[in-house]
Amino acid sequence: MKIDLNDRAVLFTGADNRVTASAKKALVANGASVIDDAAVPDLLIVSFPLVPCAGIQLEPSVAKARSVAQAMGAGSRIVFILSAIAAMPMRRYPEYSTQMAAAMAAMRVLAMEHGPKVLVNALGVGLLGEPEEAGDAAMLSHVPQGRAATRDEVIAPLLFLCDPLNSYTTGQILSVDGGWSAGYGRNF
Amino acid sequence: MQCDLEGKVALVTGAAGAIGSAIAERLTDNGARVIIADINLQGAIQVADGLADAIALAVDISQPDSVENLVLQIMREAGRLDILVNNAGINTQAHRVNIDAFPLDEWNRIVRIDLDGLYLMSRAALAPMLASGNGGRVINIASVVGLAAMRLQSPFVAAKAGIIHLTRSMALELGSQGVLTNAIAPGSVMTDLTRKLFYSEDGSFSSRTEEFMQHIPLNRPGTVQEIAEAALFLASPGAGYVNGQILAVDGGWTAGYMM
Repeated sequence: MKIDLNDRAVLFTGADNRVTASAKKALVANGASVIDDAAVPDLLIVSFPLVPCAGIQLEPSVAKARSVAQAMGAGSRIVFILSAIAAMPMRRYPEYSTQMAAAMAAMRVLAMEHGPKVLVNALGVGLLGEPEEAGDAAMLSHVPQGRAATRDEVIAPLLFLCDPLNSYTTGQILSVDGGWSAGYGRNF
Repeated sequence: MQCDLEGKVALVTGAAGAIGSAIAERLTDNGARVIIADINLQGAIQVADGLADAIALAVDISQPDSVENLVLQIMREAGRLDILVNNAGINTQAHRVNIDAFPLDEWNRIVRIDLDGLYLMSRAALAPMLASGNGGRVINIASVVGLAAMRLQSPFVAAKAGIIHLTRSMALELGSQGVLTNAIAPGSVMTDLTRKLFYSEDGSFSSRTEEFMQHIPLNRPGTVQEIAEAALFLASPGAGYVNGQILAVDGGWTAGYMM
């Protein structure tokens, strides 16, 4: 898919991983220019670790997003790249589940604080890659499609959240998890 | 966004209406052949006449014979069905009362179209979609009132909440066969109809609407094009791992309380 990001400056902050590397490539391919911290962007991508782990520092990323949002002009966007675990906690990952849910709540608060000038949304990434680049292998037992996502399948929804034509969506998480968070996909 | 829907056939119900016709337009813009289905055939013909590759057909989604007949006609005229947009639905302004006073016949009429009709239409459309082995997409048009309840429209609220959870069970049931099901929950959308109901003729807010807009971070109603853009995304090849999701296109209405 193609979107029109010509003349849009994008800033990446937070975790650096293969999803963010692909996101950079896709945004540039659609006309955006990646800038560094010195300037105010039109689009801010706030990334978090996508494989469950401990020790996520939420506050610096949220504080950064808030300060950038305050400086941003009308029509700007912020997209959080979260795990689908943000909207569906996993028992084995109590700390990560809590941090992801907190990041999702922060995204919603930022949307309320900075609308209508800035639209703020989140991508909820499910199982991606083998070995996992995102999520946990156990997710597969509840994925109706019976497979992990491809990187392109994660990037296209990210582009949708950045698309200037998608202009009435804010404060939302779009999970890209094959239906993992929709309910019990097992044979019962 | 732009995507490649060349060779795909899409069915949009309620497509003579404002949101349905906008969705149909975005799908045809991107190469799909679109069936403009509506209980109002004249309206459907008018919409189809304005589009690149569209066929107008009549349907009453609350009638099993009507939806079966529609799918037969689609297979005869287009030969396949890849995308179903369950957009048709109704609400009422005639009974702004609590549930204890809500008339049974009106409850039945709304639920029969909004929820039962969506089931009937989906069941009929899924037959060729599943038989083809090519997979497909189902996009259900729900409402934010199915996520966050509102007063004085209990059958609409219940039917839309039903659609939201039905979307999830459809996603679980059909995903393994390559049919992905998602829903859009539009917030307040400015159409000719809602302009008369909630806004003044020139589109400015009535005082109650002004108060209501303070609950919406974007501080305005949405446009039909903005709803259509989400439908286009969910129909697009790029959304191949999006399943069972409810995407609120509501200006942030359901992000939280603006207090």
